[in-house]
Amino acid sequence: MSDSRSMSYQPKPGVFQPLMTEQRAQMLTRSSLSYWEDAWRRLKSNRRALISLYIVIGLLAFTVLGPLVWTIDPAAQDLDQISTPPGADRSATLVEPYRPWDGSSALPMAPGLRLAEPATTQAVRLLWDPLEGASAYRVYRNIFPMDPGDALGLPLAETFTAAETRFEDRLDLQPRTYYYTVVALDDHGHQLPARDTLEVSVERVVTVREAVSRGLVKAEDNPQPGDAVELALHPLGTDYLGRDMLARLMYGARVSLFIGICAPLLFVLFGTVYGSTAGFMGGRVDQGLMRFADFVIALPFLLFMILFKIAFGIGPGESGILPMVVAMVLLLWPATARLVRGQILQVREEGYVNAARLLGARTNYLVLRHMIPNTLGVILVTLTFAVPNAIFIEAFLSFIGMGVAPPTPSWGSMCNEGIKTMLTYPHELIFPAVMISITVLAFNLLGDGLRDALDAKMRSTE
Amino acid sequence: MSDIANNQDDFTRSAGRQLAIFALSSIAGIALLMLGLSWASDLTSTGSGAGEAVDAATGTVTLVLNEEPPQLNSTKATDQVSMRVLGHVMEGLLRYDEDNRLVPGVAESWEIGPEEAVFHLREDARWSDGQPVTAHDFVFSWRTAVDPATASEYGFIMYAVKNAEAINRGELPVDALGVTAVDDRTLRVELERPIAYFDKLVAFVTYYPVREAFFEETGGRYGADADTLLYNGPFEITSWVHGASLRMEKNPHYWDQDRVHIQVLDHAYITQDPNAQLNLFKDGKIAYTTLTEENLNEALVQGWHLHRFMDGSVFFIEFNHREGRVTRNWHLRKAIQLALDPAELVYRVIKLPGYVPGESLFPIWLQGVESTLRQEYPAPTAQMDPEQARRHLAQAKQELGLAEIPPLVMLTGDNPISNKQSEYYQEQLKQVLGLDIRIDKQIFKQRLAKMTAGDFDLVLAGWGPDFDDPLTFGDLFASWNLNNRGRYDNPELDRWVRVAQSSTDPRARMDAFGEIQRIQFEDVVVLPNYERGIVYVEDPRIEGMVRRAVGPDPDFTNVRIVEGS
Repeated sequence: MSDSRSMSYQPKPGVFQPLMTEQRAQMLTRSSLSYWEDAWRRLKSNRRALISLYIVIGLLAFTVLGPLVWTIDPAAQDLDQISTPPGADRSATLVEPYRPWDGSSALPMAPGLRLAEPATTQAVRLLWDPLEGASAYRVYRNIFPMDPGDALGLPLAETFTAAETRFEDRLDLQPRTYYYTVVALDDHGHQLPARDTLEVSVERVVTVREAVSRGLVKAEDNPQPGDAVELALHPLGTDYLGRDMLARLMYGARVSLFIGICAPLLFVLFGTVYGSTAGFMGGRVDQGLMRFADFVIALPFLLFMILFKIAFGIGPGESGILPMVVAMVLLLWPATARLVRGQILQVREEGYVNAARLLGARTNYLVLRHMIPNTLGVILVTLTFAVPNAIFIEAFLSFIGMGVAPPTPSWGSMCNEGIKTMLTYPHELIFPAVMISITVLAFNLLGDGLRDALDAKMRSTE
Repeated sequence: MSDIANNQDDFTRSAGRQLAIFALSSIAGIALLMLGLSWASDLTSTGSGAGEAVDAATGTVTLVLNEEPPQLNSTKATDQVSMRVLGHVMEGLLRYDEDNRLVPGVAESWEIGPEEAVFHLREDARWSDGQPVTAHDFVFSWRTAVDPATASEYGFIMYAVKNAEAINRGELPVDALGVTAVDDRTLRVELERPIAYFDKLVAFVTYYPVREAFFEETGGRYGADADTLLYNGPFEITSWVHGASLRMEKNPHYWDQDRVHIQVLDHAYITQDPNAQLNLFKDGKIAYTTLTEENLNEALVQGWHLHRFMDGSVFFIEFNHREGRVTRNWHLRKAIQLALDPAELVYRVIKLPGYVPGESLFPIWLQGVESTLRQEYPAPTAQMDPEQARRHLAQAKQELGLAEIPPLVMLTGDNPISNKQSEYYQEQLKQVLGLDIRIDKQIFKQRLAKMTAGDFDLVLAGWGPDFDDPLTFGDLFASWNLNNRGRYDNPELDRWVRVAQSSTDPRARMDAFGEIQRIQFEDVVVLPNYERGIVYVEDPRIEGMVRRAVGPDPDFTNVRIVEGS
């Protein structure tokens, strides 16, 4: 029984299973990484480079998609809102078109200097009583009340005779408070002490016809003088001719990015072909080609840039974009050519290339399989550093007036225009300057990140 | 892994520290360098004496020149800067005084008849080397000015003198010019035709004297440097550093010593940059500067006493009337006239007080018979009218047999006002007429060359008066005038110009100008844009500066330093 007892435990099938013999000693926990996957992974972990990449993508969207969303014509001049900073008040009142003034007065008479009609941005019409001893008058306008220094502000006009006791001011009237002063003059045009001052608050107006033609109101609504309207919206303000800054920045970005991307692509491509030919052929060909590259590097860059542009014979008013690209390609390729040649010379002597050659690899195979992939990192990095450089050159040339022709805007030419009004209307300079800075910085940081990411020697550090 | 990360953190931190130290030390270094440099520049500037705008102790007034005079040979001078400088250091037979009246200069008396004029020179007129100014000096300079070998651009202004035109064309020898020195102090001039304004002409820069012996000594470099020029005016140039400074000192040999109150007029800076000029004035380095629209606000904030002055010149769009140009078509010109509003240009775009919207070729300050010419002959004006402009454009297309007007080239100068103006017009003509305008921006010399060659459709041009008579504007578009760059040719206008030139009856002449003004408007010869104004500010410590539309401007000859301020 003991036997039977010892045989009595029969486990149910399925409760226990025989232990399997271990087959694999170790297991890979991730799939193998290609060079590009690794580069991308490292680029992603570099936060600066990643942000720069987003900025670059954002810039491209701003340039390409922006004009589809913000459909204002960058050349359209809104003369009612010249040099307005962003966020300025836009309310205005509709009025009749301007008519020359016959000197009549619609407002009640008051002694001294007075308004003939309500003051509007169309015209401020002043009447005054004759001043003692005057043989003529001079009219001043100030934006400050009278100060102890006796500065009366802008001299607007002089009358020819003492009989003229009225003046119409139409000069650059803004919706604000002005202080007008009329001063009596003697026979020689010297100022007498007799004077009269008036504080005037100017209301912004726009004529019905202008409002309709600019689409501020619909003609069907039968707009009447006296109605209130909102002037056109300019989110980033306007420039010295009332052109929309945002639209101009978008179109300016087109020029800047077109040149900034087109020119480097072309000259890096040319430099790569040139440099790899020199490096691969070696010997006398190499010597000859590289001496020519040295010669081109030695040319004074800006001078030749300007000479090229003139030699291409751009007619009046034609855009100088294409000649600028051609000039850049002609002058900037040698740096890439040198880099690529050096890299090719190095790769050519590597063991695996020799091995491939011994195994009977053809030139085509060597170039496509070994040379190009091993120099691509260098080329890409050159390209990303060339882009901000080209943008900067374009901005500089436009800044000194050698760039695009008006009315085409470019960031550089916008800066050039903005710097003249820097003290009074800083937004005209700040916006394009900030755009140039951000773009150049983003491309530089991206290039920096790419260099780290594409460097095959840094692969083993993690 | 964490070890490496820690190491990296340490590394980043120490690198950051190093970077911060580097940045700090470089900022400190730059600050130190700037302090040192400013100290050094203080040392040098007190050394040269170009410190204060007005120095009462030495009688010095410091100024800025907009640009360097190309040269100071009075027979060849054409630009405003040369004329300004020459007006201080030279004197003609007559000159304009501080009230802009014509007064005796080198000549103390004169008689002008229909056929000849005689000038009696004063005895005490001296060159800066002490020798007397003689009638021969005038004969020599006038001959030089009309000599075709001199190629003076102002040769035509001598045409009032007998045979001048023929000599200038090379048809007669130079000594055939109708001017003779009867003796050292008597100058006789034969006139080509009776001329009502010859006294005004001889005050012009081209009529200034030049001493032959000195001219020959300079070997063709007359007027190129301070020491290759002889002076007979209130001042002499004592140093001229090209592109940097030009210093004038009182001329001890000048006959009218009483009217010169200061010792030195130091043009210590030569710059065109309005911001640089503004800063120099703000720092008390110069005694006078003009202001641009962009700087007006700053001037108001500073509380300066601003002055306004109209310099007398008229600016206009000139059309190319040459054969084969579309702008030869009257309807196209009329369309452009009706599409533009000079008032909007002046009040909204240029925004400088002093500018007056252009209505006529003749500016508002010209004198007529009794009052001003423009009051006696009001200029016909066009109201901006887009619909009618488009009708004219359609007719122009029909007459020219074109479906579209080809892009028009608008030639313009390279200065801030022209830039604004041309871009404004470009958009305006695009909006109203759908015309394509190509802006051809050129520097002054190049623009002049292109204007002369007729290489434009429209050009933004201007004209300043040479003498105080409406004819200085009136004969501009006569078919023979070389300054008629568009080659406008209209026998009717020519006829009226002849009347204005040869008549001595003021009424008949003014009628002629009225007719010229009417033709200019009706035939749209040019489109007046504006009359130029200048806003300027001067140091309160000086007084007596003279502005004038005709003659050297601004004139500091009579400036005095006000005591006690």
